[in-house]
Amino acid sequence: MVELAGELEALEAEARQEISAAADPQALAEVRARFLGRKGSLRGLLRGIGSLPPEERARAGEAANRVKDRIEALVRERREALRREAEARSLAGHRLDVTLPGAGPAPGHLHPLTRLMRDVTRFFHGLGFSVEDGPEVETEYHNFEALNFPPDHPAWDLQDTFFVRGGHVLRTHTSPVQIRVMTGREPPFRFLALGRVYRHDSDPTHSPMFHQVEGFLVDDGVSFADLKGVLFAFARHLFGDDTGVRFRAHYFPFTEPSAEIDFSWRGAWLEVGGCGMIHPNVLRECGLDPERYQGFAFGLGLDRIAMVRHGIPHIGLLFDADQRVLEQL
Amino acid sequence: MRVPLSWLAEWIELPGDRELLLSRLTLAGLEIESEERTRPDLSEIVVGEVLACEPHPDADRLSVCRVGLGGGEPLTIVCGAPNVGAGQKVAVARPGTRLPDGTRIRRVRIRGVESAGMICSAQELGLGEQHDGILVLDPTALPGGSLEEVLPPADTVIEVEITPNRGDWCSLLGIAREVRALFGGELRLPPVDPPEVEEPASAAVAIRVEDTAGCHRYVGRVVRDVVVGPSPAWLVHRLEAAGLRAVNNVVDVTNLVLLEFGQPLHAFDLERLADRRIEVRSARAGEKILTLDGEARELGEDDLVIADGRGPVAVAGVMGGADSEVGPEARSVLLEGAHFAPARVRRTARRLGLHTESSYRFERGVDPEGVRRAVDRAARLLAELAGGAVLRGAVEVLGDPPPRTHEILLDPRRVDRLLGTDLGGETMAAGLERLGIRTTVAPDGRLRCQPPSWRNDLHLPEDLAEEVARIHGYDRIPSTLPRGACRPARAPRRVAVAEEARDLLAAAGLIEAVTLSFYDPGDAERLRLPEDDPRRCIVELENPILRDQRALRPTLVPALLRAARRNLDRQAGRVRLFEVARVFRARAQGELPEERLRASGVLAVAEPRGLWEPNPPPPVFFRAKGAVERLLVGLGLRARFSRAEGEPWLHPGAAAEIRVGRERLGVVGELHPATAAAFGIDVPCAVFELDLEVAAAREPTPPQLRPVSNQPAVRRDLALLVDREVAAEELADLIRRRGGDSLISVSVFDRYEGEGVPEGRVSLAFRLVFQRPDRTLTDAEVTGAVEGIVRALEERFGAALR
Repeated sequence: MVELAGELEALEAEARQEISAAADPQALAEVRARFLGRKGSLRGLLRGIGSLPPEERARAGEAANRVKDRIEALVRERREALRREAEARSLAGHRLDVTLPGAGPAPGHLHPLTRLMRDVTRFFHGLGFSVEDGPEVETEYHNFEALNFPPDHPAWDLQDTFFVRGGHVLRTHTSPVQIRVMTGREPPFRFLALGRVYRHDSDPTHSPMFHQVEGFLVDDGVSFADLKGVLFAFARHLFGDDTGVRFRAHYFPFTEPSAEIDFSWRGAWLEVGGCGMIHPNVLRECGLDPERYQGFAFGLGLDRIAMVRHGIPHIGLLFDADQRVLEQL
Repeated sequence: MRVPLSWLAEWIELPGDRELLLSRLTLAGLEIESEERTRPDLSEIVVGEVLACEPHPDADRLSVCRVGLGGGEPLTIVCGAPNVGAGQKVAVARPGTRLPDGTRIRRVRIRGVESAGMICSAQELGLGEQHDGILVLDPTALPGGSLEEVLPPADTVIEVEITPNRGDWCSLLGIAREVRALFGGELRLPPVDPPEVEEPASAAVAIRVEDTAGCHRYVGRVVRDVVVGPSPAWLVHRLEAAGLRAVNNVVDVTNLVLLEFGQPLHAFDLERLADRRIEVRSARAGEKILTLDGEARELGEDDLVIADGRGPVAVAGVMGGADSEVGPEARSVLLEGAHFAPARVRRTARRLGLHTESSYRFERGVDPEGVRRAVDRAARLLAELAGGAVLRGAVEVLGDPPPRTHEILLDPRRVDRLLGTDLGGETMAAGLERLGIRTTVAPDGRLRCQPPSWRNDLHLPEDLAEEVARIHGYDRIPSTLPRGACRPARAPRRVAVAEEARDLLAAAGLIEAVTLSFYDPGDAERLRLPEDDPRRCIVELENPILRDQRALRPTLVPALLRAARRNLDRQAGRVRLFEVARVFRARAQGELPEERLRASGVLAVAEPRGLWEPNPPPPVFFRAKGAVERLLVGLGLRARFSRAEGEPWLHPGAAAEIRVGRERLGVVGELHPATAAAFGIDVPCAVFELDLEVAAAREPTPPQLRPVSNQPAVRRDLALLVDREVAAEELADLIRRRGGDSLISVSVFDRYEGEGVPEGRVSLAFRLVFQRPDRTLTDAEVTGAVEGIVRALEERFGAALR
């Protein structure tokens, strides 16, 4: 019995040494088999205990089991240590410069006018204005006559016009969409039209092509006060809650009363467009009874708003397709 | 119109607060475009007396002056002006003084003589252009006093933008009336009645109005024994401050009255009018006139002229003729004041390209009741300033009655409803009265409003509503939000598609450009378009600004190629631009052109390698095609690509056309070298252009799910050797057809040519995935299917397994 105890101790010491020397999971499994396997050393040692007296046999069995448990624990520990070492090696082998840029195409950009037009559209969608569309080459009827431009009147000079060979004009404003939308339909109307317009004008502050948004609302009892309220709310949406709005009396053939609109921007007034109550002649031209319906309309220049929003110094930069500019906006 | 405020103040009392005046005028519709001082503040400059003036000992052109300033030791000042002389009163800037241009005057030594200041010229003081010497002041000026006390007071001139409906505002009188309406007060009109001699004007000239529709009223006055000469300084200053040039006293008087009353006048040399006769008539076809600006002009029957016994002597309301011009030797003057039909004047002025102060006012409408007053005023001034004798009476001839203002019946409740106010009839009537609109309240509460003769813009109740709003103040109208039915907002499909396309292309890494819609028809050559190409049906402009912008574009490509060129010039490594916009195509005469929504993009690669990118880099064609595929998938379009035909601007070996069903959406391809050269692009460059109308015409339907199976999928890879000319898509089509129901996907995952692959052949590797929804496939089934596919590929394309 004393002899067996000594052998168990020696076996455990030997196993401890071999386990700690095992360099990888494979070697460790072999060491384990050598000591604890079916043909392992511990089994071999236990073969001799059958000859012991019963009470000693039980004690010897217990002692052998304790050794077995301890060896198993050593194997588990070593296996975990090996796994951790392997993991550490693998992590160390994959070490990136995380400051390098990501893969895939460089980010794209939307034009500032596109973003502004969406912003405008979202705001007016919220007030129930639907978007409508019209041609960029217009008939003189839609661009002028139906909008109550008197024949041979200086009002025509307000809008330097590009004429198309063989008739028609490039629309000088988005207002012809009013005529296209209202003719043959019944109010209420709440519409928005956005897009390119053209004037025969080119200098550092004017481009022969620019962008407008037209909005109009026709219903029973719509008033100039409503027009003011809508544009106030819009100005604040665009430029913040402390934005001021100024309405200056003005003349447009297609509105009466008419006003020009200024938004306050960094302490100065920025002229953004014109507005007014739709002229009864325009309503009548579209087949509506001005005694019954009233409506307002406004037309705002988008390019200047986009310019002040982004600090763009001259309008040419909007149409130059300079990637150095567009990538910033 | 330029208005000197001192002049305006003679006509109506102005509020002390100039800011208030200008802001109220602006809000009332008289937009102040600019505000300028007639001269700088000169209070630091003093009056000096040149006590002695001797030549500089060391310089020929300089003088050394002793200048007294009224007290204390006189200053020694070196002066270079030729006109300086002892006894003169001059303007002196002492050391430390700042001149209007910002220069500070210092004590300096000039060739050994110390100069304690400067004797100033008019130009140095900001008083004028001439620089022929120093400014010599009136001898009565008091030395030592400020120059401000000697000069006429500085004035502020405002430039007012006048809207085309307000002809009545084109005068001092009109603006004074507006000030009166806003601030109250009384108008102080200048005297108009001329002193007359016994001889009647009717004996001196005969006037006939033949074209009674073109001329509603013609008033002539005759002034004899006129001495033509320069105008007095006050008149010259007035005209110059208002932006007109002084000519001689007769012409200047007519211009002064034009500014005062807004009534254009003309002065004829009566002796030079054949038969001393005036006839207002339509020009005869082919008639000519030499106008005052020295141009010979041919007239047409629509033009209204003033003729004498020989022919036209003035283009009515536009410009006088040179032959009857009042020159230095003129003795008798016929003053003309008239009311011509506005549209007639406008047509003629436009046709002749001759826009004058006179036509400007006639087009907008002058007060038909103000003609006589203006002619009288001018006659009086001629008597005063040119020593003329005004003949008794005026010759006044009427044509058709001029357009008159009519009474307007105004319902105050409607006005309040239109404005969103609660003003009531009384307030409105008071406001309208201030504008000279005679207003009475009818028993039913409505207002009877009679606009004055000068307000040709007031016809409808709405017009008066604007007047009510202006006088009340637009700023005092409340702000409310509209009530009423609010329907769900929507946008047309075409607009939605354009926005989706922009998002998709930006998401594919492209940068959105907005370029001008104009087109240079020469681009058809640069794009090598065939003669019958539809892109040659362009929409041309009648009046382009630039020659290379004389049409509307039938394609977005040239603008993007030019943008690419500009970006390459700015050393962009990669150009990656797109635009979504309309293109235009002419249709039959009279019809509006066809406008189609397009998306186009350009990719140009100056720096081929980027971080993380494959080496060698993909051909630029595939970069462009990648963007196109993302766009098409995003728009829900299943498109097919095939080699493009009939696109001579694209590289024949690297261009594909894109079809959805039977419709051709557009092309993607690399540029043909000749096109690239024509646009100056010398790096690999691919473009695409797609018609979005096809997408816009389709109602968007939600994509329908094809069930996915949880049965195991079997993957087989096939590497095939085929002829280079065989398209991968053709092979894939055949594989799909022969693969049966269980072949759920076919894709190319490798393409290789080079070592190990025979010349003229290419190795294409396909990945086939088989799967059934109901059960596991057996190996034999898959193998059988693959063998069938390979056999078919061999037969059809001579493909060999590698």
